Amino acid sequence: MSAPITALLDGETVTAVAGEVWSALVGEEEFLLPGLGPVAPAVDGPSAWVTVTGPWDGVVVLTCAASGTADLTRSVLQLDDDEQPTAEDVEDVLRELANILGGNVKSLLPGPSALGLPETGPAPLRAEDADTCRVSASWRGHPLAITVQGASEAPAHPTTEVPK
Amino acid sequence: MKILVADDSRVMRQIVVRTLRQAGYDDVDVVEAEDGADCLAKVGSESPDLVLSDWNMPNMTGIECLRALRAQGSAVPFGFVTSEGSPEMRETASDAGALFLIAKPFTPDTFRDALDAVLA
Repeated sequence: MSAPITALLDGETVTAVAGEVWSALVGEEEFLLPGLGPVAPAVDGPSAWVTVTGPWDGVVVLTCAASGTADLTRSVLQLDDDEQPTAEDVEDVLRELANILGGNVKSLLPGPSALGLPETGPAPLRAEDADTCRVSASWRGHPLAITVQGASEAPAHPTTEVPK
Repeated sequence: MKILVADDSRVMRQIVVRTLRQAGYDDVDVVEAEDGADCLAKVGSESPDLVLSDWNMPNMTGIECLRALRAQGSAVPFGFVTSEGSPEMRETASDAGALFLIAKPFTPDTFRDALDAVLA
């Protein structure tokens, strides 16, 4: 069993990876603004994630505020501002962003390991804080959270919920 | 010139095609496949000059597709466009007969660097 994610990866690295993904997929002039503080605030919106299986087992989750998903999809697909993307396109965009984030995070972890197929839906249950690296960010004012969490015991809070 | 783009994500197929155009490959015909099994079938029916394939796909993965093609005697030029680019995966891809592996996220320059030699 590998060390917890907090010993393998820090938020700054995850933010840097996400910034590169954003520039390449969302647009060269599109920037993710890093959030403040070590723990992301709650983000109310859909999530997409991929599993990583290997010496470190866990999941990489992208959660985007519901207010931003259509805008994000329009940017990735280069649609017109007044064009409404389909729900299928929104999910596909979130899945693919999570997939690429996951692939790049995986490359920073001990290997060999395998990446699962991306999924969407309600965020997976949160893992123990000691095995969770979570960063917050915003894009065009829409909050986002990127969570790299181990497959440890899953207590009862959704991934993006701040524990009381 | 015909390129077969295989990815289970329609969004990613669209981005790959867009990047091909941005990289200057304006005049290539593009055919799309939605997983490895579809890719395998379309190599037979479409006779592409190059396959650009994702790695992780349902039904049949990209590496399984490549191995099946080589087992059938197909020598179609094959490159991966995938979210993972570890040294182990590059070695696995190369051993199976892939010409290159482009890791996502990519740019038009990345495409030109990998494809120019193949499509020249």
